[in-house]
Amino acid sequence: MTTLTHNPAASGPAASRPVPQPKKSLITRLHMGTGMVVGIIFCWGTYFVLRHHFSSPYRINHDEGLTDSHNVNITLLASMFMWCLGFLIGIGALIGPFRWLIGKDLTAEEQLYLAGDGQDWKRYFRYCTDHKVVGIQYLVGVMTLLGAGGTMAMMIRTNLVTPGSHFVAPHVYNSLVGLHGITMIIALIIVSTGPFGNFIMPIMIGAADMAFPRLNALSWWVLFTAIPVLCSAWFLGGIPTGWTAYAPLSTQAGPGMNAFLATIIIFAFSTAVAGANITTTVIAMRAKGMTWNRVPIFVVGATISVALAVPAFPTFMAAMIQTGLDRTFATGFYDANIGGSGWLYANLFWIMGHPEVYVILIPGVAALMEIAPVFVRKPLFSYGAAIAGFAGIAGLSILVWAHHMYMSGWMPSLNGPFMVTTEFISIPTGLLFLVLIGTMWRGRPWMKLPMLSVYAFIWDFLIGGITGIYLSDVPADNYLHGSMYVTAHFHYTLMGAALTGAIGGLAFWFPKMTGRMLNERGGYISFWLVQIGFNVLFLGMFLSGAEGQPRRVADYGQVFAHANLISTVGAYSVGVGALILLWAVIHSARSGKIAPMNPWGSKTLEWTVPYPVPLVNFDEPPIVTSDPYGYGRSVK
Amino acid sequence: MEHQDDEDLKPTPGERVKQVLKEKDVRQVLFFFVLFTALFSILGLWAYPRWMPNIMSKEMRGDESIMIWFTVISAPIAGIVLAFAMRSFIDIQRGDTPPEDGPAISGHTPTVVIWTAVSFLFCTVAIVWGMTEMNTWSQDAIAKESNAMVVNVTGAQWSWSFNYPAQGITTHELNLPVKQPITFNVISDDVNHSFWPVELGVKVDANRLATTVVHVTPDKIGAFEVKCAELCGIYHAYMETNGQVESRADFDNWVSTVKAQGGAQ
Repeated sequence: MTTLTHNPAASGPAASRPVPQPKKSLITRLHMGTGMVVGIIFCWGTYFVLRHHFSSPYRINHDEGLTDSHNVNITLLASMFMWCLGFLIGIGALIGPFRWLIGKDLTAEEQLYLAGDGQDWKRYFRYCTDHKVVGIQYLVGVMTLLGAGGTMAMMIRTNLVTPGSHFVAPHVYNSLVGLHGITMIIALIIVSTGPFGNFIMPIMIGAADMAFPRLNALSWWVLFTAIPVLCSAWFLGGIPTGWTAYAPLSTQAGPGMNAFLATIIIFAFSTAVAGANITTTVIAMRAKGMTWNRVPIFVVGATISVALAVPAFPTFMAAMIQTGLDRTFATGFYDANIGGSGWLYANLFWIMGHPEVYVILIPGVAALMEIAPVFVRKPLFSYGAAIAGFAGIAGLSILVWAHHMYMSGWMPSLNGPFMVTTEFISIPTGLLFLVLIGTMWRGRPWMKLPMLSVYAFIWDFLIGGITGIYLSDVPADNYLHGSMYVTAHFHYTLMGAALTGAIGGLAFWFPKMTGRMLNERGGYISFWLVQIGFNVLFLGMFLSGAEGQPRRVADYGQVFAHANLISTVGAYSVGVGALILLWAVIHSARSGKIAPMNPWGSKTLEWTVPYPVPLVNFDEPPIVTSDPYGYGRSVK
Repeated sequence: MEHQDDEDLKPTPGERVKQVLKEKDVRQVLFFFVLFTALFSILGLWAYPRWMPNIMSKEMRGDESIMIWFTVISAPIAGIVLAFAMRSFIDIQRGDTPPEDGPAISGHTPTVVIWTAVSFLFCTVAIVWGMTEMNTWSQDAIAKESNAMVVNVTGAQWSWSFNYPAQGITTHELNLPVKQPITFNVISDDVNHSFWPVELGVKVDANRLATTVVHVTPDKIGAFEVKCAELCGIYHAYMETNGQVESRADFDNWVSTVKAQGGAQ
């Protein structure tokens, strides 16, 4: 636990005490800029040393089995990881560990400085341990990733507007598909737990900060270092594999693939750190009186989500390390020619891949469950069913991965068992619907943006969920597997459900995060453009999938022309809506209406603190005496 | 539906149901329930037969009927969820202050139990249906294995080739005799592909150095398409070819034509 809570100087408004300036400390001079400088020096230094080494006739370790492409992969991967390490050193992330090596630790002033105490906007560009700063950093990061992924989506749909449009070349198209996929997956994994899990959740449970503030900053800045690495894929020839990166296509792919590998490994590290931190915070740092049955449902959902991510992502990391070894040292984990198997990759990938979609989904749903009671002025319907739903989904989700491999030929005899586990997930999922419609029942809903997201979620996730039942059915999957139908299905769940939930959460918590109200008119226009466009887009894609169009194709036959045109029109509407939301967020954060402390009349703890939220959140540690859903007039 | 605001009168169950049915929001829910259930059922029954391509095998017929009937079966589930959501949505209140509080219902165990039981039931129906279908397919395949015609399918970046060992020919187009059980042995020369003869309703991945098997009996004469359903590199979209299900005589003619050209097309 941070020492901040025990420091008497730390309580009270930030402005009322002198800004601590640790003397002679390196910490005060480090920021994002120094991180980038050191990172770039490390990156290019490694690159030139290895380039020189591999081109030298006197090089050691001259192995006949390794070709030039292996050497290029070694050079690039090493440079990427050194960029990451250099950035972290340059921004001061490792000062604490360095001090430990010499038997010391940061002083109290240095810790307060790291927490950004009394600093201006510059703390957002430093290694700042304040969870509210990290939350905003995540929010900006997520919006950037969504913007990049969305732009790629628009290019994909533009390429598919008519058969044979050739808006982009086929290899560029494949890269677009893969990088759109991984960018959006990364964005959606952190879209709720990043901004709200960091900014709001500690306040929601009455904590002064996260359990491990320095790890919190680390998780964000590690993730940050992955972004330039991912972007570098474009300059290294792109990735030909889609985000699933199936071997052996990935092991044979060009240098751009290294950027993908490095991104996943760095991202998995960031997620593990963030997941351990959030889980510990919720277990150990809840306010007095916040027993497990009084924990707000968003906190429960976020915790289950990150706890599920903790075992899931290392599998992806391991899969990628093996891909990396195949590409650098010709190990052949996935090379059938020397005894490996592509099925090994597919298994490792989907052991991460299926829990991962629930890692994305659960916090979004949980945010909407937090929202619904506030706006219908009723208690959450069956808190127990909500938790059973989340826990059931999380538990089953680790047993369903091979439903992505029904048609792979890996083990057809397991198709039956995996069909059973997959279809059983619809039971806990059904409970989530019950909780939401039960909460709405006989309430008078308040027309506000967050509430609209609840309705949109119900429609979108219902379609996403039901189409999932067809796909989990082995015979139907014979037809549907690898078709546009799958693409439409998972966009309904990931975008229609999880992203809609996160946008609802943004509209809901925006006043607490920025001190201003989100522009309502902009929000409504964006909401309808996005939701209508989204449904046109993906209903069109269900159509092209049912007609038999494979997914990830740069071109298609005349028979799919109508369906694809419909999808592209819908996509543009989503694009325009998203831009309007972006405008609304930026405009409102700068000059929106000043928000009152509790604009929605909510009963959770985060609405009891003023804006700007004090450094340790609460002047007095709160004591919780009831669950946060005490709305409604009593009934017999 | 199950929630009762006023239980003072202790009515009989029959009266209670009648009383509940008179309430405005219960009626609205029922209305939307019927509306959405009908809408989704019609969508399933109407859309899939039109959207999905020609049915040229029993397997494809099975795929399509699952799509249709699962839609119809799940229509009431969608109906009930959307009915409650819709009823709530039409009552939405504008304004700058929260509307008055609703009843403090924080749970209702019978509802949760019934809901779980019903979804368990629907889930079981889906599983049993799928299992039965799978079982029929594999039984079928075993029964027909002895007189099945073998076609060795090879995927390579970016084309399909078909080797007919009994006929001694290798082609890039897939011609099949009607009502003849076929066994496809599928393999890849390079990366993963997925062999998808669309109208035949089956699919299996082509893996490097590992043969996968899929059985089908085409039962209708006509053209079909063969596509690749697994991203396999730059020209994945163009990795497709034509297929033809034809009468035994036409098939034999085609084989002899190919043979006359040297046994390879």
